[in-house]
This record gives sequence, structure tokens and C-alpha cells, in this order.
Amino acid sequence: MECKTHISVRDLSVFYGGAQVLNNISIDIPDKKLTAIIGPSGCGKTTLLKSLNRIIDLQDGVRVSGQVFVDGEDIYDPKVEVTHLRKKMGLLLQRPQILPMSIYENVVYGPRIHGVRNKKKLDGLVQCYLKVSGLWNEVKDRLHSPATRLSIGQQQRLCLARGLAVEPEVILGDEPTSALDPISAERIEQRLLELKSQYTVVLVTHNLRQAKRLADYVIFLYLGNLIEHGPTEQILKNPKYVKTQNYINGEFIEELTIDKELNLKATVCPDNFAKAKLALEELKHGQVLKIVVDYEVAVNEVPKAMEFEGHKVLEIKRINQKDWEILIQKRNGVYTI
Amino acid sequence: MNTRKFKDVVAQKIMFLLCIFVVSLAFLIIFGLYHRSMPILAEKNLKDILFSAIWHPAQGQFGLAGFIVGTLWVIGIATILAVPLSILTATYLSEYSHRRIREYIKPIIDLLAGISPVIYGVWGVVAIVPFVRDYLMPFLSEKMPFFPFASDNYTGFAAITGGIVLAVMICPLMISIIGEVIRNVPFEAREASLALGATRWQTVKYVVFKKSWPGIIAAIILGLSRAFGETIAVLMVAGCALNFFPKSIFDPAYPLPALIANTYGEMMSIPLYDAAVLLAAFILLIVSILFNIVGWGILLRIERSQS
Amino acid sequence: MNRRKIEENIFRCFMVLSTFMVVGSLALILVTIFLKGFPALNLDMLIKTPKGGYYIGKEGGILNAILGSIILGIGATFLALIVSLPLVFYLNLYVRKKSKFALIVRFFLDVLWGIPSIVYGAFGFTLMIFFGLRASLLAAMITVALLIIPIMARSMDEVLKMIPFELKEASFALGSTRLETAVKVIFKQALPGIITSILIAFGRGIGDAAAVLFTASFTDSLPYSLFKPVATLPLAIFFQLGTPFPEVQERGYASALVLTGIIFLISIVSRILSKKFSKRIIK
Repeated sequence: MECKTHISVRDLSVFYGGAQVLNNISIDIPDKKLTAIIGPSGCGKTTLLKSLNRIIDLQDGVRVSGQVFVDGEDIYDPKVEVTHLRKKMGLLLQRPQILPMSIYENVVYGPRIHGVRNKKKLDGLVQCYLKVSGLWNEVKDRLHSPATRLSIGQQQRLCLARGLAVEPEVILGDEPTSALDPISAERIEQRLLELKSQYTVVLVTHNLRQAKRLADYVIFLYLGNLIEHGPTEQILKNPKYVKTQNYINGEFIEELTIDKELNLKATVCPDNFAKAKLALEELKHGQVLKIVVDYEVAVNEVPKAMEFEGHKVLEIKRINQKDWEILIQKRNGVYTI
Repeated sequence: MNTRKFKDVVAQKIMFLLCIFVVSLAFLIIFGLYHRSMPILAEKNLKDILFSAIWHPAQGQFGLAGFIVGTLWVIGIATILAVPLSILTATYLSEYSHRRIREYIKPIIDLLAGISPVIYGVWGVVAIVPFVRDYLMPFLSEKMPFFPFASDNYTGFAAITGGIVLAVMICPLMISIIGEVIRNVPFEAREASLALGATRWQTVKYVVFKKSWPGIIAAIILGLSRAFGETIAVLMVAGCALNFFPKSIFDPAYPLPALIANTYGEMMSIPLYDAAVLLAAFILLIVSILFNIVGWGILLRIERSQS
Repeated sequence: MNRRKIEENIFRCFMVLSTFMVVGSLALILVTIFLKGFPALNLDMLIKTPKGGYYIGKEGGILNAILGSIILGIGATFLALIVSLPLVFYLNLYVRKKSKFALIVRFFLDVLWGIPSIVYGAFGFTLMIFFGLRASLLAAMITVALLIIPIMARSMDEVLKMIPFELKEASFALGSTRLETAVKVIFKQALPGIITSILIAFGRGIGDAAAVLFTASFTDSLPYSLFKPVATLPLAIFFQLGTPFPEVQERGYASALVLTGIIFLISIVSRILSKKFSKRIIK
């Protein structure tokens, strides 16, 4: 797989106070592809992501050494105008951060601070990017109401629109779906898949299934060190290094054997809980149950209820226009809430 | 019931009573001052007292309007000077400066807050009065001989002098409250704005201030209330001319607290005099309680909405 | 460069400038007081009481005011401490975390904190009349204590709020009563903070003039009775500066230097103490 490099990281080390968080990372991030950064928590995924647009500078006591080239320009060069660099990179955070203003104002905030004053142009931008982020139909009648009234999933899509409105080249996502419900998460994933043809997307995720679904390219970090990187298929299927293998085997089973299937379409709420629970009781520890449901409340609530019972939800995936597939792994006796 | 438990319960009762004492103290002060200022309210109309400018205790004239206007001049000037100064300093310390600089400056500001009002007064007399007399007044009053500057008081003891000294006195309080309010704006909100390529100042202006303005207002209200009650320092530098409406920042002003402080020796000698002075104290009390309720109320609401 | 860059720089300049002004005004105050006061300061001022004619420039010192202020400050701080300490322990140990009652008490403390000292002075005056007291050390102590209770209690409350909840739980779990937890565990943990609060309140009490104007009166003799008037340093400064005689005014500056020195000392001691004690604290 040959492709153009967009961001190129050279010997990047990051220190917080005395502690070294990233250790001599060198990597090329391909242009117009989706790159996922994976690894156990605390391994420096977010630090790497945030050092790409120098948002990391904001933290007290951070020291960065090494170079990051974006379009051939070293962004840690003191001469670089950091606001221009950041304009090139949209950032999606774990929890959507809504600015304290209306929906419309949120989208035009970026263009405005960069000097766009023309009302017509701003209106156009709002419509365009709310459509891209798939929010337009839901909010077109209340563009001027406070953005805080949106649901958290809508807020995240608004953040996406806000980030796109400054016309960046890169989209950085720091586990952007981890705080969202499955349906909202799926919507964000869809948007990211659409966007990767026009933008370079870098995504931090702790969810290997998400990486598998979305990414073209995977970077595996372990305790601040770059262990392995390469095309998704290669990393997830045939990791070269033991650390990667261990992590991947611990987190995720490549080919799931479904031990039982349950169709809960057209089944309403307390009913589908009960059926799923009964089905799980028949399974052994570690076996997998596949459920198919077909309406939104069930998509959100059934996995929550099963997690509450102590089982592990492996994946929630849309399989067609209406139906969703939920994979649950049976866990015995351990109640982890 | 064993002794340990008994001690615990007794201690609890005593502590509870102390809490009640503190709560009732506020009411006790209100009642005490109201009670002592009753005699003059029984004899005179409150409106007359508040809007009459003639203060002549020996003739039974107790008009407070001159003092109220004097107070307004002094705290008006202090606010105009202190509010921008405090907002900018607090913003600098919490948004721009390095953490180490903040750690050096914090104790300095704390010390500034702890200095005795009398010392501020001495500083005012020694430094600010000559500054106003020799530099500020010739500069402003002669170049711009119109409304807030024209004056024939060349002593340097003037409303502006009181205002400058007060401004320095209320800055530490406002800086610390505004700083706290600003630091409570979540880091991610700044991150979101900066990630879009906004400059620091744009982020502060559009996001930080927008999220924290109620707290900033509260800080200003509390600073105002502090300025309103400050006595000795202002008394020493503001000039204090009786039966006079200041019409310029260079005119002498005689604020309410200064009146109370100045009359402590003589007020028992003339009938109703003490009641009039304690009425002034009562007004001071009510206004500062109202300001504090509003100010702390806003801060409390912010705190609760965050947790 | 472009407009936003210019705006950024202008405001950054303003901010640095105003920070310098605030910090500079403290330096200016200290320098002014030192330059004016130091030449006039001598040993006589510190160890003598005012002799006849002191206020027209004859000899004497301000020992009466120094001692008076210190005794008044200690007395008032002690009175305030016996109210504040149990109060904040109650708020932090005896009531639930989200208790309405604690909320109300804290809010009242905030409001009391905002009442000007001259109003406390006037209230102290009405109390004096009510109890038939004359202006005296005792009346002044009570008034200043009322003034500094909110200051002390609020800062102690902040200190106790910082004590980790697990510590309280650990103590309760060993079967201690709340009182034992308060005295043996929390008090020890919070001691540096409590001392700092006490010193802050002491500094405020010693420096305040408006509250003692009505209640302490003034005297040229050393403080020897709770029921006699007492001289205080702030008032001594105020009076000496109010005289028309340059020699007396000079002594006023010297007295101001003494008061500033005391307050400076308190502030430094509290900083050192809290650093020294905090080494023993589980963070």
C-alpha cells in the first residue's frame, strides 16, 4: 500500500515534568486515510494525537522534543504560527465541548475568528457543514437556540461541523465516540468514513473493533513507545511483536464464533431484556450471543442492561437500514459496574 | 450511654449552638442598628434624611444626601479603575502566565489584601495626595476644564485620591475571585476554541469570559461592597468637606463610613445625633448585606451548577 | 501581521501592564512606608509611652499602642477561635455533605464577612450601650472578635474541606466518635491550615481601625485592665497623622512602619509554619 505522507513525526518525545510520556516516536501518517492509534490506556495515545496540533503546549510543565512535519513544515519551529497550524486540524474530543453560544454561532465561530464576516457566506458554511455532519435536518429550524440543549450525540456532530467549518486538512479524534450511545457513535463513525476521502483522519481509540471497522492504518503504542504500525489488516491479524499480540488477544477476538443467535426484532423493552438474559444463562462463560434488534431504544438499552448483569458487550453494529447486531460475551459471576 | 458518646453529643449540641449564634449574629446586627436608629426615624421622614443635603447636627439637620453622593463618587472612581485592572490581571495570571509566575504573585496579592487600611491611608497621604495635587490635577483640570475634571480644590485631598487608594484596596479581592471563576471554566472549552485556530485572546474573549461572566459580575459586586464600607483609608485622603456636593473628581468627597468614623467622639452630645449616625451605619449595613447576598448567591449558584 | 495577532499582542501588553501595576502598588506602598518611616524610627518610640505633650512634638513613644494592639489582637483572635473552630468542625464532620443547614451557615459567614468593619464598630457601640459598658479593651476585643469570626471561619472551612474524606472514614471505621475524629485526626491534619487561618485573622484584627474607633477609645497609658480604654496602633497612626506638627506626623510614619512590619512578619511566619507543618501531612 503506497500512499502520500501527510504528517511525518520524527523522534518525538514528550515529557510531563520529569516523566517521559512519549519516547522517540517516528512515524508517517498517510494522506487522506484514516489512521487509528491504539494501545492500552496510559500509553500516550492522546498525547501523541495532541502533539500533532500543539494543543499539548497548553498543559503546564510539558516539554516536547523532536519534530513533526505537516505538509513538509516543522510545526515545532518557533516561527510557525500556531493558530494557522491548528486551523489545519479539526479536533474532536472524548466529550463534545460545546462553546457557550447558539448552534449557528458554534459553527461560524471558527470562520469568524479567522476573519470571515460575510453573512451569506457564513450562512452557507453553516448549512454545508451541518449537512456534512448529518445534523442539518435535526436542527435547521432552531439554529439560534443554545447548543447546550442538543443531546450529547448531536453535540458531538455539531463539534464535527464546527471543526470542518474552518476547512481543515486533518481531523483528529480523541476517542470521539466513547462517551456516546451506540446509535450516535455509529453516526459519527459513518461521517468519519465518508470524510476520509477528503481529509486525513487520525483517531485515538481503545476499541479495536472500531479500529477494524474504520481504519486503513493502525499505530500501536505501548508505554510511550511505538511498537508497531502498518495497514489495519496486517496489524490486527498478523502482529509482528509479542506486545501487540498480547494486547490484541486480550482485547479482542478476531473471528468470533457465535454460539447462539437470538432475533429480538419487534420485541419491546422489558421483554427483550428478559429473553436476552435467559439466552445468556444457557451459555457457558466466554461464549458469545448475537442479538438482532431493530429499534433505537433497544440498541441503547439492551447492551446497558446486559453490562449491568456483568456480561461483556463486544460489538454493536448496524447491519442494514433498520437492524442492529449486538454481540455479547457471557461472563460468569463477575459483577463489574 | 458511655462517656465518649456523651461527650460527642454534648460537643455536637455546643457546636450547633455556635452555628446558630453565627446565623443570628447577622440578624442581631441588623436589629441592633435598626433599634438604635429608630429615634430619628420616628421623628423624621426617611426620604427627607436621604435626600436632604444639609448636615447640621446642632440645629437638628441630618441630611445624608451629601455623604451618599460623596460615597458614589469615590466608589465610582474606584470601580472604574479597579475593574479593568482586576479582570486583566486575573486573566493574565490564570490564562497567560506560567504557573511559577502565578505562584510568586499569589502571595504578593494576599499580602496586599492583608495590609491594614490605615497603612493604605498613610500611603495615600504620602504618595497619592501629592501625585494628584502636583501632576494629575494640573494635567487634567487645566487641559480639560469641564465636567468631571473642573475643580478649584487644589489640595490633592479629593474624590479621585480616595478612589485610587480604594481601587488598590479592592483589587486583591476581585483578582482572587475572578481568577477562581476563570480557572473553573473547563480546560476542554479552551481546547475546543484553540483547536479551531483561535488566538489566546479570542478564546478568552469569546469562550472564557462568556462562560464566566456571572462570576465576574459577582466579583465586581463584592468589590463594590468592600469599597462601599471602607472607612479609615478613605477618610484620610478624600478631603471630607461638609455640606458639599462634589461635582468633579478633584472635589473633596465625604463618604458615609467616613462620617460615622469622624463623629465617634461627639455623637452622644446632641440629641438624635447618635441615631442619625447609626442610621448611616444601618444604611451601610443593609447595602453591604444586599450586595453580599447577590454576589455570594451568584457564586454559590455557579459552584452548585458545576458539581 | 494580521488584525487578530495585533489584538492579541495589545491585550497581552495590557494584562502584563496591569499585573505590574497591582504588584507595583504593593512595592510602592512598602517602599513609601519604609522611606518615610525609617528615618523617624528610634528605640524610644518602641519602648516608651507618650509623655505629656507628645502630640505636639514632645518626647515619648508608642509602646502603649503596640502593646494594646497585640493584646487586643490576641484576645480577639482567641475569642474568635473558640467560636470558629467548633463551628467549622461541625460543618465538616457532623452534618451531611449536602446539608441545607451547612449551606445556610456558610452563606451567612460569607455575608458577615462582607459587612464593613465600621458597621461592626457601630454595632459594638450599640452593644456597649446596651450592656452599660464604657469603651474598653473588653468591648474592643468582642467587637474585633465579631469582625474576624467570619474571616477565620471561612478560611478554616476551606482548609477542612481539603481533608480527604477517606481519612474521616478511616477514623470512624476504627470506632472513634466524631469528636475524637475531629480532635485527634482532623485537627492534626489541618493544623498548618488552621494556624494560617488564625494568623490571617490576627493580622486583620490588629490592623483594623474602624471597628475599634468606637469601642477601644484611646489612652496614653499601657493596657492594664480589661475594663479600661486601650490604645491601638492603627488609631495611633491615624491621630499622629492628623496633627498639624511635622514631628508628630513623622512619628506617624514610623508607627505605620511598625504596623506594616508586624503584618509582614505575621504573613511570613504563617507561610513558613504552613510549609514546615505540611511535611507531616498525608497528601
